[in-house]
Amino acid sequence: MPVATPKTSDVDLFADEVLLDPYPTYARLRDLGGVVHLPATDVYALTRYHVIRDALADWETFSSTSIGFNPMVNEALTGTSLASDPPVHTRLRATLTANLSPRALRGLKDQIDAKADSLVAELVAKGSFDAIDALARAFPLEVVADLIGFTGYARTNMLRWGQAAMQVIGPMNQRTAESFPIAGELYGWCSSVTADDLAPGSVGRGIFDAQARGDIPDNTAGHIIHQYLGAGVDTTIAAIGNILALFSAYPDQLELVRKDPALVPAAFSEALRFWAPVHAWGRRVRRDVEIDGAVVPAGAQVAILFGAGNRDPRHYDNPDAFLVERNPIDHLSFGYGPHGCAGQGLARLEAHAIIQALARRVERLVTGPETRIPSNITRSIDQLPVTEVVPA
Amino acid sequence: MKILIDRSRCEGHGLCEEAAPSLMHLDDDGELVLDHDEVGGDVLAAAGAAVRACPVAALRLA
Repeated sequence: MPVATPKTSDVDLFADEVLLDPYPTYARLRDLGGVVHLPATDVYALTRYHVIRDALADWETFSSTSIGFNPMVNEALTGTSLASDPPVHTRLRATLTANLSPRALRGLKDQIDAKADSLVAELVAKGSFDAIDALARAFPLEVVADLIGFTGYARTNMLRWGQAAMQVIGPMNQRTAESFPIAGELYGWCSSVTADDLAPGSVGRGIFDAQARGDIPDNTAGHIIHQYLGAGVDTTIAAIGNILALFSAYPDQLELVRKDPALVPAAFSEALRFWAPVHAWGRRVRRDVEIDGAVVPAGAQVAILFGAGNRDPRHYDNPDAFLVERNPIDHLSFGYGPHGCAGQGLARLEAHAIIQALARRVERLVTGPETRIPSNITRSIDQLPVTEVVPA
Repeated sequence: MKILIDRSRCEGHGLCEEAAPSLMHLDDDGELVLDHDEVGGDVLAAAGAAVRACPVAALRLA
Protein backbone atom coordinates (compact mmCIF):
# COMPACT_ATOMS: atom_id res chain seq x y z
CA MET A 1 0.00 0.00 0.00
CA PRO A 2 1.42 3.43 -0.85
CA VAL A 3 2.16 5.47 2.22
CA ALA A 4 0.59 8.92 2.39
CA THR A 5 1.12 11.97 4.54
CA PRO A 6 -1.65 12.68 7.06
CA LYS A 7 -4.58 14.86 6.00
CA THR A 8 -4.45 18.44 7.20
CA SER A 9 -7.11 20.58 8.89
CA ASP A 10 -7.11 24.27 9.87
CA VAL A 11 -8.84 23.47 13.19
CA ASP A 12 -7.35 25.14 16.27
CA LEU A 13 -7.93 22.55 18.99
CA PHE A 14 -7.56 25.20 21.68
CA ALA A 15 -9.93 27.83 20.24
CA ASP A 16 -12.73 28.83 22.65
CA GLU A 17 -15.56 27.38 20.57
CA VAL A 18 -13.78 24.03 20.16
CA LEU A 19 -13.05 23.78 23.88
CA LEU A 20 -16.67 24.56 24.76
CA ASP A 21 -18.07 21.88 22.43
CA PRO A 22 -15.38 19.77 20.77
CA TYR A 23 -17.63 16.96 19.56
CA PRO A 24 -18.56 18.35 16.10
CA THR A 25 -14.86 19.06 15.51
CA TYR A 26 -13.89 15.59 16.72
CA ALA A 27 -16.36 14.05 14.24
CA ARG A 28 -14.90 16.04 11.32
CA LEU A 29 -11.32 15.16 12.24
CA ARG A 30 -12.19 11.47 12.74
CA ASP A 31 -13.72 11.39 9.27
CA LEU A 32 -10.52 12.85 7.78
CA GLY A 33 -8.35 10.09 9.27
CA GLY A 34 -7.03 8.31 12.35
CA VAL A 35 -4.31 10.97 12.42
CA VAL A 36 -4.75 14.55 11.17
CA HIS A 37 -2.08 17.27 10.99
CA LEU A 38 -3.19 20.56 12.55
CA PRO A 39 -0.75 23.31 11.51
CA ALA A 40 -2.52 25.92 13.71
CA THR A 41 -0.86 24.35 16.76
CA ASP A 42 1.61 22.15 14.84
CA VAL A 43 0.31 18.91 16.28
CA TYR A 44 -0.77 15.59 14.83
CA ALA A 45 -4.17 14.77 16.35
CA LEU A 46 -5.07 11.12 17.02
CA THR A 47 -8.81 10.80 16.50
CA ARG A 48 -9.98 7.20 16.17
CA TYR A 49 -10.44 4.68 18.98
CA HIS A 50 -8.00 2.00 17.88
CA VAL A 51 -5.32 4.51 16.89
CA ILE A 52 -5.47 6.13 20.34
CA ARG A 53 -5.51 2.86 22.25
CA ASP A 54 -2.56 1.50 20.24
CA ALA A 55 -0.56 4.71 20.75
CA LEU A 56 -1.19 4.68 24.51
CA ALA A 57 0.09 1.10 24.69
CA ASP A 58 3.20 1.83 22.58
CA TRP A 59 5.37 3.91 24.92
CA GLU A 60 8.48 3.13 22.87
CA THR A 61 7.14 5.03 19.86
CA PHE A 62 4.96 7.59 21.67
CA SER A 63 7.11 9.17 24.37
CA SER A 64 5.58 10.94 27.37
CA THR A 65 8.43 13.45 27.52
CA SER A 66 6.11 15.91 25.78
CA ILE A 67 2.69 15.46 27.38
CA GLY A 68 2.20 19.24 27.39
CA PHE A 69 1.77 21.58 24.45
CA ASN A 70 4.36 24.19 25.43
CA PRO A 71 8.07 23.70 26.19
CA MET A 72 7.90 25.38 29.62
CA VAL A 73 5.46 22.87 31.07
CA ASN A 74 7.34 19.91 29.62
CA GLU A 75 10.54 21.25 31.17
CA ALA A 76 8.78 21.72 34.53
CA LEU A 77 7.43 18.15 34.46
CA THR A 78 10.77 16.53 33.61
CA GLY A 79 11.58 13.78 36.07
CA THR A 80 7.96 13.10 37.08
CA SER A 81 6.18 9.82 36.46
CA LEU A 82 3.73 11.63 34.19
CA ALA A 83 6.42 12.82 31.81
CA SER A 84 8.90 9.94 31.77
CA ASP A 85 9.21 6.68 29.88
CA PRO A 86 10.17 3.19 31.09
CA PRO A 87 12.42 2.07 32.70
CA VAL A 88 12.60 5.28 34.80
CA HIS A 89 8.82 5.61 34.65
CA THR A 90 8.24 2.16 36.13
CA ARG A 91 10.02 3.07 39.38
CA LEU A 92 8.43 6.53 39.64
CA ARG A 93 4.97 5.13 39.00
CA ALA A 94 5.41 2.50 41.70
CA THR A 95 6.31 5.23 44.19
CA LEU A 96 3.33 7.33 43.11
CA THR A 97 0.82 4.49 43.29
CA ALA A 98 2.07 2.90 46.51
CA ASN A 99 -0.52 4.97 48.39
CA LEU A 100 -2.99 5.45 45.56
CA SER A 101 -3.67 2.05 44.01
CA PRO A 102 -7.02 0.37 44.68
CA ARG A 103 -5.06 -1.97 46.92
CA ALA A 104 -3.88 0.93 49.07
CA LEU A 105 -7.30 2.61 49.11
CA ARG A 106 -9.40 -0.40 50.10
CA GLY A 107 -9.88 0.84 53.65
CA LEU A 108 -11.30 4.18 52.49
CA LYS A 109 -14.44 2.97 50.70
CA ASP A 110 -16.86 3.06 53.65
CA GLN A 111 -15.69 6.49 54.71
CA ILE A 112 -16.04 7.94 51.18
CA ASP A 113 -19.48 6.34 50.71
CA ALA A 114 -20.68 7.82 54.01
CA LYS A 115 -19.32 11.25 53.12
CA ALA A 116 -21.08 11.21 49.74
CA ASP A 117 -24.34 10.02 51.20
CA SER A 118 -24.46 12.69 53.90
CA LEU A 119 -23.59 15.45 51.41
CA VAL A 120 -26.25 14.30 48.93
CA ALA A 121 -28.85 13.95 51.74
CA GLU A 122 -28.10 17.49 52.90
CA LEU A 123 -28.49 18.89 49.37
CA VAL A 124 -31.70 16.97 48.69
CA ALA A 125 -33.15 18.53 51.84
CA LYS A 126 -32.01 21.96 50.68
CA GLY A 127 -33.71 21.58 47.28
CA SER A 128 -31.84 24.25 45.34
CA PHE A 129 -28.08 24.70 45.04
CA ASP A 130 -25.31 24.94 42.48
CA ALA A 131 -24.47 21.33 41.59
CA ILE A 132 -20.87 22.16 40.73
CA ASP A 133 -19.94 24.24 43.77
CA ALA A 134 -21.96 22.33 46.33
CA LEU A 135 -21.20 18.81 45.12
CA ALA A 136 -18.82 18.37 42.16
CA ARG A 137 -16.20 20.68 43.73
CA ALA A 138 -16.99 20.26 47.42
CA PHE A 139 -16.78 16.47 47.48
CA PRO A 140 -13.44 15.73 45.74
CA LEU A 141 -11.81 18.70 47.44
CA GLU A 142 -12.79 17.28 50.82
CA VAL A 143 -11.80 13.71 49.91
CA VAL A 144 -8.40 14.69 48.47
CA ALA A 145 -7.67 17.19 51.24
CA ASP A 146 -8.43 14.62 53.93
CA LEU A 147 -6.52 11.90 52.12
CA ILE A 148 -3.31 13.88 51.58
CA GLY A 149 -3.69 15.83 54.79
CA PHE A 150 -3.97 19.38 53.42
CA THR A 151 -4.86 22.01 55.97
CA GLY A 152 -4.83 25.83 56.10
CA TYR A 153 -3.12 27.60 53.20
CA ALA A 154 -2.93 24.54 50.92
CA ARG A 155 -6.55 23.53 51.54
CA THR A 156 -7.75 27.06 50.74
CA ASN A 157 -5.84 27.10 47.45
CA MET A 158 -6.41 23.55 46.19
CA LEU A 159 -9.11 24.43 43.67
CA ARG A 160 -7.25 27.26 41.90
CA TRP A 161 -3.95 25.36 42.05
CA GLY A 162 -5.57 22.25 40.59
CA GLN A 163 -7.19 24.23 37.77
CA ALA A 164 -3.97 26.05 36.92
CA ALA A 165 -1.90 22.84 36.94
CA MET A 166 -4.09 21.48 34.12
CA GLN A 167 -4.47 24.77 32.24
CA VAL A 168 -0.69 25.22 31.80
CA ILE A 169 -0.49 21.95 29.85
CA GLY A 170 -2.08 23.78 26.89
CA PRO A 171 -0.21 25.69 24.17
CA MET A 172 1.22 29.07 25.13
CA ASN A 173 -2.06 31.00 24.83
CA GLN A 174 -3.46 33.61 27.20
CA ARG A 175 -5.05 31.00 29.47
CA THR A 176 -1.72 29.23 29.86
CA ALA A 177 0.22 32.46 30.44
CA GLU A 178 -2.22 33.61 33.14
CA SER A 179 -2.14 30.21 34.85
CA PHE A 180 1.65 29.77 35.08
CA PRO A 181 2.04 32.07 38.12
CA ILE A 182 -0.72 30.14 39.96
CA ALA A 183 0.74 26.75 38.98
CA GLY A 184 4.03 28.21 40.25
CA GLU A 185 2.48 28.83 43.69
CA LEU A 186 1.54 25.15 43.86
CA TYR A 187 5.02 24.10 42.71
CA GLY A 188 6.61 26.44 45.25
CA TRP A 189 4.46 25.14 48.08
CA CYS A 190 5.20 21.52 47.16
CA SER A 191 8.93 22.26 46.99
CA SER A 192 8.98 23.46 50.58
CA VAL A 193 6.23 21.39 52.20
CA THR A 194 7.29 19.32 55.21
CA ALA A 195 5.64 16.48 57.12
CA ASP A 196 4.49 18.94 59.77
CA ASP A 197 2.39 20.83 57.21
CA LEU A 198 0.24 17.74 56.61
CA ALA A 199 -2.33 16.27 58.95
CA PRO A 200 -1.12 13.41 61.21
CA GLY A 201 -2.18 9.98 59.90
CA SER A 202 -2.71 11.22 56.33
CA VAL A 203 -1.31 9.66 53.18
CA GLY A 204 0.77 12.83 52.71
CA ARG A 205 2.44 12.21 56.08
CA GLY A 206 2.97 8.59 55.06
CA ILE A 207 4.88 9.68 51.97
CA PHE A 208 7.20 11.83 54.10
CA ASP A 209 7.65 8.91 56.50
CA ALA A 210 8.62 6.72 53.52
CA GLN A 211 11.15 9.37 52.47
CA ALA A 212 12.57 9.57 56.00
CA ARG A 213 12.97 5.77 56.05
CA GLY A 214 14.78 5.88 52.71
CA ASP A 215 12.05 3.86 50.93
CA ILE A 216 11.81 6.62 48.33
CA PRO A 217 14.63 8.99 47.31
CA ASP A 218 15.20 12.32 49.04
CA ASN A 219 13.14 15.25 47.77
CA THR A 220 10.51 13.11 46.06
CA ALA A 221 7.71 13.44 48.64
CA GLY A 222 6.86 17.00 47.57
CA HIS A 223 6.77 15.98 43.90
CA ILE A 224 4.36 13.15 44.62
CA ILE A 225 2.04 15.47 46.52
CA HIS A 226 2.28 17.90 43.60
CA GLN A 227 1.08 15.20 41.21
CA TYR A 228 -1.76 14.09 43.49
CA LEU A 229 -3.10 17.61 43.56
CA GLY A 230 -2.25 18.62 39.99
CA ALA A 231 -3.82 15.56 38.40
CA GLY A 232 -6.49 14.55 40.89
CA VAL A 233 -8.57 17.63 41.58
CA ASP A 234 -9.72 19.34 38.38
CA THR A 235 -10.36 16.07 36.50
CA THR A 236 -12.47 14.49 39.25
CA ILE A 237 -14.46 17.70 39.66
CA ALA A 238 -15.17 17.60 35.91
CA ALA A 239 -16.26 13.96 36.03
CA ILE A 240 -18.63 14.42 38.97
CA GLY A 241 -20.11 17.59 37.47
CA ASN A 242 -20.70 15.69 34.25
CA ILE A 243 -22.49 12.88 36.10
CA LEU A 244 -24.85 15.39 37.70
CA ALA A 245 -25.57 17.18 34.42
CA LEU A 246 -26.10 13.91 32.54
CA PHE A 247 -28.48 12.46 35.13
CA SER A 248 -30.40 15.73 35.06
CA ALA A 249 -30.59 15.71 31.26
CA TYR A 250 -31.40 11.97 31.02
CA PRO A 251 -33.74 11.10 33.92
CA ASP A 252 -34.57 7.78 32.24
CA GLN A 253 -30.90 6.77 32.67
CA LEU A 254 -30.94 7.73 36.37
CA GLU A 255 -34.11 5.64 36.66
CA LEU A 256 -32.27 2.59 35.28
CA VAL A 257 -29.55 2.95 37.93
CA ARG A 258 -32.18 3.48 40.66
CA LYS A 259 -33.86 0.22 39.67
CA ASP A 260 -30.57 -1.67 39.42
CA PRO A 261 -27.76 -0.26 41.59
CA ALA A 262 -25.41 -2.86 40.08
CA LEU A 263 -25.27 -0.41 37.15
CA VAL A 264 -23.33 2.18 39.19
CA PRO A 265 -19.86 1.32 37.77
CA ALA A 266 -21.30 1.07 34.24
CA ALA A 267 -22.94 4.48 34.63
CA PHE A 268 -19.62 6.02 35.63
CA SER A 269 -17.79 4.44 32.68
CA GLU A 270 -20.48 5.72 30.34
CA ALA A 271 -20.33 9.26 31.78
CA LEU A 272 -16.55 9.23 31.27
CA ARG A 273 -16.94 7.92 27.73
CA PHE A 274 -19.69 10.37 26.82
CA TRP A 275 -17.92 13.50 28.11
CA ALA A 276 -14.17 13.01 28.52
CA PRO A 277 -12.84 15.20 31.36
CA VAL A 278 -9.52 15.63 29.52
CA HIS A 279 -9.60 17.24 26.07
CA ALA A 280 -6.09 16.64 24.73
CA TRP A 281 -2.90 15.03 26.01
CA GLY A 282 0.51 15.04 24.37
CA ARG A 283 3.09 12.54 23.22
CA ARG A 284 6.30 12.93 21.17
CA VAL A 285 6.87 10.52 18.28
CA ARG A 286 10.33 8.95 18.57
CA ARG A 287 10.53 7.50 15.05
CA ASP A 288 8.69 7.79 11.74
CA VAL A 289 5.49 5.89 12.42
CA GLU A 290 2.71 4.77 10.13
CA ILE A 291 -0.78 5.40 11.52
CA ASP A 292 -3.81 4.31 9.51
CA GLY A 293 -1.73 4.39 6.30
CA ALA A 294 -0.19 7.84 6.88
CA VAL A 295 3.30 8.57 8.17
CA VAL A 296 3.93 10.87 11.13
CA PRO A 297 7.56 12.00 11.17
CA ALA A 298 9.98 11.37 14.04
CA GLY A 299 9.97 14.26 16.50
CA ALA A 300 6.36 15.29 15.82
CA GLN A 301 4.13 16.45 18.67
CA VAL A 302 0.98 14.35 18.99
CA ALA A 303 -2.35 15.40 20.56
CA ILE A 304 -4.40 12.47 21.82
CA LEU A 305 -8.10 13.32 21.66
CA PHE A 306 -9.66 10.94 24.20
CA GLY A 307 -13.15 12.33 23.57
CA ALA A 308 -12.88 11.75 19.82
CA GLY A 309 -11.90 8.11 20.32
CA ASN A 310 -14.71 7.63 22.85
CA ARG A 311 -17.29 8.66 20.23
CA ASP A 312 -15.77 6.65 17.37
CA PRO A 313 -18.62 4.77 15.63
CA ARG A 314 -16.00 2.25 14.42
CA HIS A 315 -15.79 1.07 18.03
CA TYR A 316 -19.06 1.99 19.80
CA ASP A 317 -22.54 1.55 18.36
CA ASN A 318 -24.66 4.70 18.53
CA PRO A 319 -21.74 6.55 20.16
CA ASP A 320 -23.53 9.88 20.64
CA ALA A 321 -26.16 8.37 22.94
CA PHE A 322 -25.72 8.32 26.75
CA LEU A 323 -26.68 4.78 27.79
CA VAL A 324 -25.77 3.56 31.28
CA GLU A 325 -26.32 -0.07 30.30
CA ARG A 326 -23.58 0.11 27.67
CA ASN A 327 -20.82 -0.50 30.26
CA PRO A 328 -17.87 0.72 28.11
CA ILE A 329 -15.10 -0.45 30.44
CA ASP A 330 -12.57 0.11 27.64
CA HIS A 331 -13.30 3.86 27.29
CA LEU A 332 -10.24 6.07 26.83
CA SER A 333 -10.87 8.78 29.42
CA PHE A 334 -8.36 7.32 31.90
CA GLY A 335 -5.87 6.78 29.11
CA TYR A 336 -4.56 3.22 28.86
CA GLY A 337 -1.43 1.19 29.49
CA PRO A 338 1.68 2.10 31.49
CA HIS A 339 0.55 5.74 31.90
CA GLY A 340 -3.14 4.91 32.51
CA CYS A 341 -4.53 7.30 35.13
CA ALA A 342 -2.77 6.50 38.40
CA GLY A 343 -5.66 7.89 40.41
CA GLN A 344 -8.45 6.02 38.68
CA GLY A 345 -9.06 3.83 41.72
CA LEU A 346 -9.73 6.90 43.85
CA ALA A 347 -11.80 8.49 41.08
CA ARG A 348 -13.96 5.34 40.95
CA LEU A 349 -14.42 5.31 44.72
CA GLU A 350 -15.54 8.95 44.65
CA ALA A 351 -17.79 8.75 41.59
CA HIS A 352 -19.40 5.43 42.57
CA ALA A 353 -20.16 6.88 46.01
CA ILE A 354 -21.86 9.91 44.46
CA ILE A 355 -23.85 7.85 41.93
CA GLN A 356 -24.99 5.41 44.65
CA ALA A 357 -26.13 8.28 46.85
CA LEU A 358 -28.00 9.94 43.97
CA ALA A 359 -29.65 6.67 42.96
CA ARG A 360 -30.75 6.11 46.56
CA ARG A 361 -32.01 9.60 47.32
CA VAL A 362 -32.99 11.35 44.09
CA GLU A 363 -35.72 10.64 41.59
CA ARG A 364 -35.06 13.69 39.50
CA LEU A 365 -32.71 16.68 39.43
CA VAL A 366 -34.28 19.71 37.75
CA THR A 367 -31.58 22.09 36.55
CA GLY A 368 -31.28 25.43 34.79
CA PRO A 369 -28.83 25.96 31.91
CA GLU A 370 -25.23 24.86 32.49
CA THR A 371 -22.39 27.36 32.08
CA ARG A 372 -19.01 26.37 30.68
CA ILE A 373 -15.76 28.36 30.56
CA PRO A 374 -13.22 27.40 27.89
CA SER A 375 -10.25 25.64 29.42
CA ASN A 376 -7.19 24.20 27.65
CA ILE A 377 -7.15 20.66 28.99
CA THR A 378 -9.98 19.95 31.44
CA ARG A 379 -13.47 20.14 29.95
CA SER A 380 -15.92 20.77 32.75
CA ILE A 381 -19.11 22.56 33.70
CA ASP A 382 -18.54 25.76 35.66
CA GLN A 383 -22.08 26.30 36.99
CA LEU A 384 -25.18 24.09 37.03
CA PRO A 385 -28.09 25.53 39.03
CA VAL A 386 -30.34 22.88 40.55
CA THR A 387 -33.78 24.46 40.93
CA GLU A 388 -35.64 21.48 42.31
CA VAL A 389 -34.86 18.00 43.61
CA VAL A 390 -37.58 15.38 43.38
CA PRO A 391 -36.59 13.08 46.23
CA ALA A 392 -36.72 9.32 45.86
CA MET B 1 -3.27 -20.23 25.49
CA LYS B 2 -1.90 -18.85 28.74
CA ILE B 3 -2.81 -15.65 30.63
CA LEU B 4 0.31 -13.78 31.72
CA ILE B 5 0.39 -11.06 34.41
CA ASP B 6 2.99 -8.29 34.46
CA ARG B 7 3.19 -7.94 38.24
CA SER B 8 5.12 -4.68 38.01
CA ARG B 9 2.13 -3.12 36.26
CA CYS B 10 -0.83 -4.70 38.06
CA GLU B 11 -2.29 -2.24 40.58
CA GLY B 12 -5.37 -4.25 41.51
CA HIS B 13 -8.03 -2.21 39.65
CA GLY B 14 -10.08 -5.40 39.42
CA LEU B 15 -11.72 -4.79 36.04
CA CYS B 16 -10.38 -8.14 34.80
CA GLU B 17 -12.20 -9.91 37.61
CA GLU B 18 -15.44 -8.22 36.57
CA ALA B 19 -14.85 -9.30 32.96
CA ALA B 20 -13.87 -12.91 33.77
CA PRO B 21 -14.84 -13.84 37.35
CA SER B 22 -14.41 -17.56 36.59
CA LEU B 23 -10.74 -17.10 35.69
CA MET B 24 -9.30 -14.67 38.23
CA HIS B 25 -9.99 -12.78 41.45
CA LEU B 26 -8.42 -10.24 43.77
CA ASP B 27 -7.47 -11.79 47.10
CA ASP B 28 -7.99 -10.18 50.51
CA ASP B 29 -4.84 -8.10 50.02
CA GLY B 30 -5.98 -6.86 46.61
CA GLU B 31 -3.45 -9.04 44.77
CA LEU B 32 -4.59 -10.64 41.53
CA VAL B 33 -4.82 -14.44 41.61
CA LEU B 34 -5.29 -16.47 38.42
CA ASP B 35 -7.61 -19.39 39.13
CA HIS B 36 -7.05 -20.78 35.65
CA ASP B 37 -4.14 -19.52 33.56
CA GLU B 38 -4.31 -22.12 30.78
CA VAL B 39 -7.32 -21.07 28.72
CA GLY B 40 -8.94 -22.39 25.58
CA GLY B 41 -12.28 -23.23 24.04
CA ASP B 42 -15.23 -21.71 25.84
CA VAL B 43 -13.27 -19.51 28.20
CA LEU B 44 -10.93 -17.97 25.65
CA ALA B 45 -13.40 -15.15 24.95
CA ALA B 46 -13.64 -14.34 28.67
CA ALA B 47 -9.85 -14.34 28.93
CA GLY B 48 -9.64 -11.94 25.99
CA ALA B 49 -12.22 -9.65 27.62
CA ALA B 50 -10.18 -9.61 30.84
CA VAL B 51 -7.01 -8.71 28.91
CA ARG B 52 -8.81 -5.87 27.13
CA ALA B 53 -10.41 -4.64 30.37
CA CYS B 54 -7.09 -4.13 32.17
CA PRO B 55 -6.63 -0.34 32.26
CA VAL B 56 -2.85 -0.52 32.67
CA ALA B 57 -2.17 -3.31 30.13
CA ALA B 58 -0.85 -5.69 32.77
CA LEU B 59 -2.39 -8.82 31.23
CA ARG B 60 -1.72 -10.60 27.97
CA LEU B 61 -2.50 -13.87 26.27
CA ALA B 62 0.34 -15.87 24.80
